Amino acid sequence: MSMHETAAEIAERTLALARGDEVEVLASVERSALTRFANNRIHQNVAERSAGVSVRVVVGTRQGCAATDRVDEESLERCCERAREAALRAPEDPSFPGLPEPSEAAAAPARPLPDPDAFGPDARAEAAAAIIAQSAERGLTAAGTVSVRAAGIAVANSRGVRLAATTGAARATVLSMHASGASGWASWLGTDPAELAADSLGDRAALLAERSVGAEPLEPGSYPVVLAPDAVADLLDFLGYTSFGARAYFERSSFVALHEGERLFPETLTIVDDALSPEAVGLPFDFEGVPKHRVALVERGVPAGVVTDSYWAAKLARTNTGHALPAPNPWGPMPLDLAIEPGDATVDEMIAAVERGVYVTRFHYVNVEDPATVLLTGMTRDGTFLIEDGRLSRPLANARFTQSVVEALKGLQAIGRTRELVGTEDGGACLAPALALASWQFTGQTG
Amino acid sequence: MRDIALAALDAATLAGASYADARVVFERSETVSVRTGRVDAIGSSETLGLGVRVIADGAWGFAATADLSPDAIRLAAREAVALARAAARTWSAPVRLSDAPIVTDEWRAPCEIDPFSVPLDEKVALLLAADEAMRAEPLVSVTAGSLDAWSVSKVFASTEGSLIEQSHTEVGAGIEAIAVTDGEVLTRSYPNSHGGQTVQAGWEAVLALDLVGHAPRIAEQAAALTRAIPCPSTTTTVILDGSQMALQVHESIGHPTELDRVLGDEAAFAGTSWVRASGLGTLRYGSERLNVVADATTPGSIGSFGYDDEGVPAQRFDVVRGGVLAGFLSSRESAVAIGRSSTGCARASGWDRIPLVRMTTVSLEPGEWDLDDLIADTREGIYMETNSSWSIDDKRLNFQFACEIGWEIKDGKLGRMIKNPNYTGITPQFWSSLDAVCSPRHWQVWGVPNCGKGEPMQVAHVAHGAAPARFRNVQVGVAR
Repeated sequence: MSMHETAAEIAERTLALARGDEVEVLASVERSALTRFANNRIHQNVAERSAGVSVRVVVGTRQGCAATDRVDEESLERCCERAREAALRAPEDPSFPGLPEPSEAAAAPARPLPDPDAFGPDARAEAAAAIIAQSAERGLTAAGTVSVRAAGIAVANSRGVRLAATTGAARATVLSMHASGASGWASWLGTDPAELAADSLGDRAALLAERSVGAEPLEPGSYPVVLAPDAVADLLDFLGYTSFGARAYFERSSFVALHEGERLFPETLTIVDDALSPEAVGLPFDFEGVPKHRVALVERGVPAGVVTDSYWAAKLARTNTGHALPAPNPWGPMPLDLAIEPGDATVDEMIAAVERGVYVTRFHYVNVEDPATVLLTGMTRDGTFLIEDGRLSRPLANARFTQSVVEALKGLQAIGRTRELVGTEDGGACLAPALALASWQFTGQTG
Repeated sequence: MRDIALAALDAATLAGASYADARVVFERSETVSVRTGRVDAIGSSETLGLGVRVIADGAWGFAATADLSPDAIRLAAREAVALARAAARTWSAPVRLSDAPIVTDEWRAPCEIDPFSVPLDEKVALLLAADEAMRAEPLVSVTAGSLDAWSVSKVFASTEGSLIEQSHTEVGAGIEAIAVTDGEVLTRSYPNSHGGQTVQAGWEAVLALDLVGHAPRIAEQAAALTRAIPCPSTTTTVILDGSQMALQVHESIGHPTELDRVLGDEAAFAGTSWVRASGLGTLRYGSERLNVVADATTPGSIGSFGYDDEGVPAQRFDVVRGGVLAGFLSSRESAVAIGRSSTGCARASGWDRIPLVRMTTVSLEPGEWDLDDLIADTREGIYMETNSSWSIDDKRLNFQFACEIGWEIKDGKLGRMIKNPNYTGITPQFWSSLDAVCSPRHWQVWGVPNCGKGEPMQVAHVAHGAAPARFRNVQVGVAR
């Protein structure tokens, strides 16, 4: 039985136990393993097998939720009762639109799935060792991860929704460090572990670390930047969190609400959420069992829309785009498969076009200072370089930035023609190209 | 739960582990939240599972399972040993652990009113009342409130012979009023941002917060922020309130003194530390007024326990004394690497995660100042309250914090209100500019239930005692 068939069986069993005017069950079966290395050795090596059930019971317009990771009959029954009890004690919610009806699902793309058994402890250790070797042989120190995850997810509700799918990915990351503190970074995310080129990943990080030796501080100020895909992924993640959900739109804390339909960015910029893209790794439906739609969030430079779930679609009188998070969900719908449409430039061409600017491999510890303008602060990390006369002239020490992403994207100069699938902290992934921006505000130096 | 843990140890030993520990953890949680007059989440969760950690062939392995059948327990133990053996191929030296006492004990944290016994409708009514009180302010367009409760029971057993049962209850609550103008989002929270205050206690602690009573004040302040001045971009004196000081301690003292980070174990994700192990006893961290202790026995704190998740007893020890580095947060493995004993800071976020070096209650000791006197003693500066944003570099040196609200200080008096104030600094320089800390009357333990670390990610509940404090020559108003 596949993982999603197991999840669907659990969901069906739970649905039969629950009492309410409407019932929704989200079931998951997951296997994950992560091999972590630091100081050129594997120091943490973990694996997990888990299952989970979340039940939403509706009585009238009152809703209550309960979850458990025990899938025996007695535990499921107790979970259903807790959800019903919660619903009975919740106030009526006249704005509740009802659980979603079944709808026609777009054909989910066929993607290979990582097999946690095939990419087991020995295979992951071998990959880690190959990555480490690239640093160790050059007197560098490597740290990072090699991981695999597969999860069967099923959603079933009393209106007839029955959807299930297995999703998963393998991932590898590496930080290579020089004794001076200089460092380099490389990462890979994909559905087929056979495509992980461990040697070459380790080599990329080690080369960046070597090139970063002798870094000098960057004088704070505004500079043109070329952002590598890892750095762009961070920006996309925060755009999704602050601006592309229906709740922020309704509450007018999103720039999309303030500028919808206006030409805000260059015409070359299109940002979408598209779980159905063959390159993405997300689920083809959301956690309410609604098939995901491709949503244009910024269309040819124009803020064009936000993602919705059943509640927010009804509230805003818009289409349900299929972006619900698991109930109970106080955050509203979120895009989990963001992508910037590719452009026509290579990274070398972007760098060549900059007279004096900064190349950023990735950011570190980014946070929001103002959601309305997506004003972020954070640090650069693991490969920051000064660009002079169209080439990387010398390494720079990590620098702090404080920059509105909305303002920065107004100065978009070029978009990379290739994209990388980058894993995000919340477990999602986005397709990010490199970007060249006219201005980025660096506000502080490393101590 | 004991039987499951002991069965896991037996299975690990049979599979070839030279050391094993097992944790069986049962956790209940409940959440209720409202937003602008509507209940947007009401739910509960239960999780029970087993984590087995082993040393085999000199390396670590860990496997976790929610299936607690005898077969699944054996499978987890065997998987942990297989993981250790795979890891061993990159090891140059076997894992060593500092000595720990062999303990058989039970520990329970006090809780007067079980929060799970309080009816959900009572919780909803409390939040809706606070929400309504905030919405009386016309400029406040978004309001929110949340209540959370956790109950954790766990068993720890090790092949060294320890068998420890622990249980505790936690509650968290908070409200926020948000005034949204075109292009600005201005938030005021009570009693703290990011979910409010979280403590190791029962429902009595939620009632003591008086959310409804404080709702009008924070709504008025959120509205007033729409008329407030921007933060000037300058270098000046800053006084930070206790809750912001808690986060300042968290990011720039708590994390950098985690010994696993110092030794490089967290390098790829959260980063390393500017602090070196060799700095113990000599490194100048800040001014002589800087005294920081880690205390896992602090009553009512979510950083408290009887024993850590390696079975090491809870401890109180100096981290910084008189401005000089005095101790590290450590586990058995990290401590022995510098020739020390564990300071009892190995904590796992659940049955499915390994213990990592985590903060307990890492607190800035109080000074002698009354807050009013401290402000009166300040000719010019800014007083800031309540964190809204935090960021720090991968060596825990360059930080930037933003707060919800501030006020000018002119000639010893609070003046105009400032919106979205922020400040930036470099850790040792900043702490060297500390010249005053307020007295025990202003000192309070603040819960931080969202501390992220590790891969796979673990979210820990930690805490910090702090009182308002004053810093000189701080850069404020970055990009304002």
